[in-house]
Amino acid sequence: MIGLLSIAIFLPAVLAAPTFLLGRKNPKMAKILGVGTTAIVFAISILILVVFQYGQAGFQLSESAPWAGSFGLNYKVGIDGISLPLLMIATFLSLLSAAGSWDQITFRHAEYYALFLIFETGIIGVFTSLNLILFYLFWEIVLIPMFFFIGIWGGPRRRYASLKFLIFTYSGSAVMLFGFLALYAWTGTSAYPGGPSFDYDVLAVRIPNLALPLQLAVAVTTFVGFAVKLPIFPLHTWLPDAHVEAPAPVSVLLAGLLLKMGGYGLIRYNLLLFPKAVSVLWPYFTTIGLITMIYGASVALVAKDIKRMIALTSVNHMGYVLLGAFTATVAGVSGAVFQMFSHGLAIGMLFLMSGYIHEHTGTRNIDELKGLRGKMPQTVSLLFLASMAAMAVPGFANFISEYLVIQGALSVSYLFAIAIVAPALTVGYFLWMLRRVAMTPPVGPKNELHLHSILILVAFLVPLLIFGVYPPPILGSVIAPTVEKWVGTIVGLGAR
Amino acid sequence: MALFSLTPFLSLAVFGLLATPAGFLRFKKSKLGFAPFVCILGLAIALVSTVWLGFTSSAPVSFGGFQVDLFTLFFSGVLLIVAIFVTIASLQYMREDPNKGPFFGLLLLSTLGMIVLAASMDLILLYVGWELMSIPTYALTAFRKKDPNSNEAAMKFFVLSALSSALLVYAISLVFGITGSTGLTAIASSLSTAGPDVRPFGVLAIVLFIVGFGVKMAVVPFHMWIPDAFEGAPVTIGAFLAAGAKMAAFAAAFRVFIVGISAFNVDFYSTFAIVAVVTMSVGNVAALMQKSFTRLLAYSSIAQAGYILMALATPFTTTNVPLGLAGGLFHVLNYAILKTAAFVAAAAVATKLSITDLDSFNGLSRRMPQTSLSIAVIFLGLAGVPPLNGFFSKVMLFTGSIYSPYTWGGYLALAALINSGFSMSYYGWLIKRMYFDEPQDQSRIAEPRVYMAVLWAATILIFAIGIYPDPWIRLAQSAAAALVGSRGL
Repeated sequence: MIGLLSIAIFLPAVLAAPTFLLGRKNPKMAKILGVGTTAIVFAISILILVVFQYGQAGFQLSESAPWAGSFGLNYKVGIDGISLPLLMIATFLSLLSAAGSWDQITFRHAEYYALFLIFETGIIGVFTSLNLILFYLFWEIVLIPMFFFIGIWGGPRRRYASLKFLIFTYSGSAVMLFGFLALYAWTGTSAYPGGPSFDYDVLAVRIPNLALPLQLAVAVTTFVGFAVKLPIFPLHTWLPDAHVEAPAPVSVLLAGLLLKMGGYGLIRYNLLLFPKAVSVLWPYFTTIGLITMIYGASVALVAKDIKRMIALTSVNHMGYVLLGAFTATVAGVSGAVFQMFSHGLAIGMLFLMSGYIHEHTGTRNIDELKGLRGKMPQTVSLLFLASMAAMAVPGFANFISEYLVIQGALSVSYLFAIAIVAPALTVGYFLWMLRRVAMTPPVGPKNELHLHSILILVAFLVPLLIFGVYPPPILGSVIAPTVEKWVGTIVGLGAR
Repeated sequence: MALFSLTPFLSLAVFGLLATPAGFLRFKKSKLGFAPFVCILGLAIALVSTVWLGFTSSAPVSFGGFQVDLFTLFFSGVLLIVAIFVTIASLQYMREDPNKGPFFGLLLLSTLGMIVLAASMDLILLYVGWELMSIPTYALTAFRKKDPNSNEAAMKFFVLSALSSALLVYAISLVFGITGSTGLTAIASSLSTAGPDVRPFGVLAIVLFIVGFGVKMAVVPFHMWIPDAFEGAPVTIGAFLAAGAKMAAFAAAFRVFIVGISAFNVDFYSTFAIVAVVTMSVGNVAALMQKSFTRLLAYSSIAQAGYILMALATPFTTTNVPLGLAGGLFHVLNYAILKTAAFVAAAAVATKLSITDLDSFNGLSRRMPQTSLSIAVIFLGLAGVPPLNGFFSKVMLFTGSIYSPYTWGGYLALAALINSGFSMSYYGWLIKRMYFDEPQDQSRIAEPRVYMAVLWAATILIFAIGIYPDPWIRLAQSAAAALVGSRGL
């Protein structure tokens, strides 16, 4: 019996073939099939929302089937309160990004949409798989389309950026794979009845008994893999290049979804699987998170290219995820999950907008965009709203998530009050950008976006505002129950 | 009927001898003689009978030192697939060559030598198989007799190969001196009780075996001949050497070390671990610096040999399951398919562009889209990207290392994984050249159908094994179990 999750995972990959074959002669067909498939998958994810039982902590809609049983590999998928919000932004952003590609991708449509659908399969798979090797498989499937997106449809430095992206993230994941394989081997000894396994639920039971040095080895190696994707401060250098060179709809996927893979991995695997290791490593990880937040904000302050600035915003904002997750408090972890959700939407909107602005004005240089109000008045008002979301102004979901992260951090140690510097800097660079772009005397002539592009941009704002004003449907009944259950199991930190 | 289990061997021998004279017979007006078809027929009969034997036979069939078990049949299947791909590609590649008879005849006889190696449980038979495999390959490497590069390559290959054969003979005689036998099981039982006085000779024999096999397996530091041989030889013979001869040498090494020498109380495992790490590191770093496609393939094949060596370094887990060994055998299968296909793609490019310089790959996706797509898939498979076949065998190999009883197992796996990550730099770089760079010449090139048939077959296999690896893993596991089982016979 094929369940809803499997349909959502594999439908895009299956439809990638007809998209490619039919789209080769007829680009419009590729567009229709590409956008249509992402819309169907989004509809399926809405169905998942309906079926999902709220307020529960365990994995739901689980499916399990033997895959390579001779090596202990099972096909196992399922979602809980941590994966559901990410699954939703995955299908939602895929739909919006595919729709945004309609105008912004101008050649080789068949290849583009076929790769797009394979990407969607990978990203949904990452957020739903419950077997380590299956997870790694989807993790790598995401990589290859992204390499081609940047390399073929990217900007002037696309060749350099794509290869840098590929080598950085592939090396990171190779180190991560070591952790996964080591888990299989070290929990497969005779001390653990039932034989070695890659299944998440089996490992979650076994790992707490694993010796501390072994836990530390696995936690550190998997951290490297996730941290490259997140990215953290010294390993982030692929990000500005990749984000800036990628076409705008792909930047939406990169910042909105690909970075979330790192954050999701950190929470799902690093934080929840290695309680003993976390109780040793959390000061280092949270400090790295803090440095990443402040570093990302400071670098964004001096960026001249609006797209580069937005890209560095991601470094800034993903630092919150790292900080919140490894405070190992209910507030911090819930905030981290919610931050991934809200940041994905806000950054997606900003990137898509930067693409439209570039298309309509021919430049992305912040100084050259002076007086944009005259050319694109509606876009500028949307830019204000998106910047407010990214600045975490109350009323937007981002405020709730960043507030929760900082609250979680402060409940652990007052030293984390330094974290307050980051939002201040964020507000600083956004306002400075807005002052130069939007608050200058308008320069004509008017060259506004089409209505459908405006509607795509507005679609990002809807969930941001709804959950910013009234977060309980997602925070209280989806994220919190799961986080409370898991965080309670983290030895030594559970009491907080 | 025990004799039926000899069908693959007999088919290769008979058709191998027939192929050379068949080269003189021709179809009217066609340049293609009968030889390639005799060759394909012989290989097909051998492959079908191998598969049939694999499904029907349960107990190993032994004729003294000659043993047909699942390990033999596994290698026989892998090597025959390689030989069939090479033969089909050579149909196109050797189209203009007048000497087709000897070419295809030698190909079959060399294949016979390879599968004899996999079947040998006796060191004398092993040596016979070794020479039967090697001697035709010297001639095949030098097949373009008027091409100085081809001759130089063959000369270099021949001298090193002859040296390796000599070292093997010396190792065999030392082992005979210690144990008084050439049968591997007898050697094993004798070595398990060997006293300290013979220990130095035993260690010397092990070193000589490692060097002797190492030359053919192209492990560092005995890898120097590989890049020159692959570049100078006809490209399809490059595939045969890289995927055929090399894997057959691994078959021999598996037999000798796992069945015979593992009974001896000498830690050769850590030696193999060091050699494995050095081999994969040198291969990967050197591959990054190559300017020719065939040389890049040569160094990547050296790196892959390093991964397979891990199976000899850490064959068993702490629970005594041959996980690393099964992973090694699975990687032999995957590597053989990937590497043969890579060389066939090189042959397609070489035939059409008459050059395999890496710069000629710039923008190749516009000119030869099918070839480029398959090269991209093959390279991602070699790098170990899921869901392609190379991923699962690497996972088994690396897990086997961590899972092994040795404390250095984890470091070995980490070194291999870092290598695997690093290898993406040159694999990705070539994909970048093919897909992202601009070609100097935009014209579309007609892609030869024969090559495309092989490439598509290989690409489908690469995906099929990668997406549903279960039956193939079982195959490798039962082959590994058969190898371990042949110790006790």
